[in-house]
Amino acid sequence: MVWIVQALGVAVLVAVAPFMWGIAQMVKARRQGRRGPAPWQLYWVIRKHWHKETTVPERSSWVFRLAPSVSMAVLLMIVITIPIAGRVPRDWPHNMLTLFFLLALERFWSGLAGLDTVGTFGGLGASRVTTLGTGIEPALFAALGIVWQVSGNGAMAPLAAPLSTAPASLLPWLLASTSVAMVLLAEWGRLPVDNPDTHLELTMMHEATLLEYDGRFLALSEWAMALKFTALATFGWVVLGPHLPSLWANLGLRVIEIAATAGALGWMESRLTKLRYFQLPAYLAVAAGLGMLGFYLASGGLSV
Amino acid sequence: MVTGGLFTLGLVAVVGYRWPRWSLVLNLLLSLGILAYGGYGLWHGASTVGPGALELSPLRAWFLMVLGLVASLSSWYRWGYHDDQASLRFWLPPFLISMMTVILANNLWVFMTGWESMTITSFFLVTTHHERPDVLKSGYIYLVMSQVSAMVILAGMLVMDTHLHSVDFSVWAQRGAALPRSTKSLTFGLLGLGFGMKSGVIPFHVWLPRAHPAAPAPVSSLMSGAMIKLGIFGMLQFLLFDLGSTARWWPLLVLAVGAVSSLLGVLYALMEHDLKRLLAYHSIENIGIILLGVGVMGVGIDWHHPAWVAVGLVASLFHTLNHAIFKSQLFLAAGAVEQHTGILDVDHLGGLLRTIPGIALGFIAGSLAISGLPPFNGFVSEWLTFRGLLGLTHSAGLLGLYGVGLMMVLGLTGALAGLCFVKASGVVFLGEPRRAGPRQPLPASLTGSVLGLAAISLILGVIPQPLLQLLNGIDPAYRLNAAGMLLPARVPLIAGLLIIGIALFAGLSRVWEVRTVPRWSCGREADASMQFTSASFTKAIRTTFAVIYRPHRQVQRLGSGAPDFPTRLLYRGGTVPVWEQYLYRPVYGLLWRASRLSTHIQRGPVRLYLAYLLGTVGLMLALLH
Repeated sequence: MVWIVQALGVAVLVAVAPFMWGIAQMVKARRQGRRGPAPWQLYWVIRKHWHKETTVPERSSWVFRLAPSVSMAVLLMIVITIPIAGRVPRDWPHNMLTLFFLLALERFWSGLAGLDTVGTFGGLGASRVTTLGTGIEPALFAALGIVWQVSGNGAMAPLAAPLSTAPASLLPWLLASTSVAMVLLAEWGRLPVDNPDTHLELTMMHEATLLEYDGRFLALSEWAMALKFTALATFGWVVLGPHLPSLWANLGLRVIEIAATAGALGWMESRLTKLRYFQLPAYLAVAAGLGMLGFYLASGGLSV
Repeated sequence: MVTGGLFTLGLVAVVGYRWPRWSLVLNLLLSLGILAYGGYGLWHGASTVGPGALELSPLRAWFLMVLGLVASLSSWYRWGYHDDQASLRFWLPPFLISMMTVILANNLWVFMTGWESMTITSFFLVTTHHERPDVLKSGYIYLVMSQVSAMVILAGMLVMDTHLHSVDFSVWAQRGAALPRSTKSLTFGLLGLGFGMKSGVIPFHVWLPRAHPAAPAPVSSLMSGAMIKLGIFGMLQFLLFDLGSTARWWPLLVLAVGAVSSLLGVLYALMEHDLKRLLAYHSIENIGIILLGVGVMGVGIDWHHPAWVAVGLVASLFHTLNHAIFKSQLFLAAGAVEQHTGILDVDHLGGLLRTIPGIALGFIAGSLAISGLPPFNGFVSEWLTFRGLLGLTHSAGLLGLYGVGLMMVLGLTGALAGLCFVKASGVVFLGEPRRAGPRQPLPASLTGSVLGLAAISLILGVIPQPLLQLLNGIDPAYRLNAAGMLLPARVPLIAGLLIIGIALFAGLSRVWEVRTVPRWSCGREADASMQFTSASFTKAIRTTFAVIYRPHRQVQRLGSGAPDFPTRLLYRGGTVPVWEQYLYRPVYGLLWRASRLSTHIQRGPVRLYLAYLLGTVGLMLALLH
């Protein structure tokens, strides 16, 4: 039973990823007074790219060609490891440490691919993406402080139930959730950290590493980008959000939660401006500080 | 008997230094012998040590295996290495033999003899190119720091000797734990300081980024892969195994030193343009990561938490092996780049993937491994280190907060290492060459040894369990289940699925069915000078960590139309070597002034010195009675 739910969950998350991305874009467009594209627009875009001829820039190597496959494989792995409905089969590799290492692999390879294109923008994107990663990783470790405390070996286990019942532990939970949300915004490459809709290369981060891609490679990269949003949103809800007793209900709840997250993201993005690149360390430091504070409050005072 | 055979082999290799091929074969045999002996020791893990002068224990066998592995592949590498000089052939076998002696030594005097000869032989190896500027200076700095560390270690060991009335290490292992607290603390301080200096932890690291680049590539790989690990070996054997529980703040201090070394090591590495210096700084980082494992083990001993002991020990030992593999792989690849192009400055390189694809593959694989990314071996040991620190977060209050802080530092270190190696492998191997020049073809042994190490690191990254099983017998007191600790990571599953997934998507997107077109580059011509260099790649890091780097830059506008329309721009930038400037220079100045003062009592006449001698003897007699 658990097997079936988990397999179904993976299939659903992969399938709805472009739609969820579309919801965020739609809400943002409506808030800005535009009609905007339909939420399923990204499916058509990906289909269009997939059927076009694929070209690579001259003098680029296998590193460049492999990058979209690495991104997609890593994100698929991440989705597989998350206990989507709250429970996983026995001996499942549902480990948060592994998740961070996998994300780092994706970042590493897209950085390499950016440097493989010779152009300035590829190098710029590679530099920014990897530099941002150096802020995201420690901030995420701090943000998940209270989760570490509950799970013995880093397993992704539902946390909210024991915490949200006791009123005293509501504050640590709130702090941790805020902190995780701030870090995930950075990891998704959304405002106020990075703007996926920018058309000015100089302000791009993740997009700049994709500038030289087209055809099937671009299709894979765009699906991976959407999947990153869905996967990490699921991760956040699984470890910090509420859970229902039934597995199937949990699966449905996840889809609703992700859609709500996408909507909130679109709403928020129409009210936020992008932070300057050199202010991002401060942004991530605030996120890490909130997480540490939450951990400190949850672990109960100064005693060795 | 085995050690006797290896000693003889080493001696023959020294004598045969005039015949290059023979000396290489003998060196390879010696290395393989060490490797086999280490493997034998692990397989037959006899955990009690006999009374002989050289004895094998499981812990020693593990380090012997690390040494043998690095030595074997660097011997193979030397087959085609252009810089394989007579002095290298002469000094390498005794260097290997003395490291083996240090590992196997079972009493104080054998240990110190091995330790000193290791320092001296490696000094001659570092100064192979003594005719080049600054190489002798680097060599002397290395020699002085090694001597200081040796004296501190000797002092610490003599303290043990005085209290236990024995120089025999097997006696120390039996009775060390029963020593009084104050003696333990004194020993811990002295030995920790000495071994820390030898393994290059911050702030005693200054010799390392000087000595490693000065040496030829096979020597760098041995020094970084095996020699600095002997400091870790000493800490494990004497401080944690022999002494047992100590004052609680010692392991906490080890953790702090590990965190500082790992973070600052990688931060300094990021600012380096010389490929071998960059790798040398990464050795400091990895020693820091190993020390985090050691520290977790120490905390586990003092807080009586066997699970922490086990995970800390396994993490540090496995990372020791892994670092030896991928670091020697990277150093050997850097040597190959130097042989191929004659340049080590990364900002003058580029596009080497097209001319030396094998080395490029090896370097990228090594970069993934050193950044701790799956499916390579660095992932497994860094995961274990994280898991060790995770244990600390379970404690209430400050210790838990300390654990989260350490995890953050390790996370930051890992991400910075990833950034640094995206930079190193991207700038050196990808893109276009930044400077044209002759490219020498590389012999097969260079590529072969680098790829061989890469294959080992991939195998250990996919199926680490069989090797980890061997660690179970390393300390019977804790009944380790090394492979069981790794269970939540499901390493073979993750690594296997990842490789399959990448292959699947590569097949689906038909990576071979592409058309090569001129690059788009936003509609502009792109040439090699537009590529990001190592300095521009790390600009944001330089400004974010300005507190640590204290960067300075100077732009001069020259020409008739300056400053608004300059014909030439001169840019000079750099960072301040903080430790040299604020720690070593003042200390050096103090020593210099002290020695100037002492000239007053050193006037030269022999009678005066005789009087000093007599006075000293008298004073000692008076003190001793």
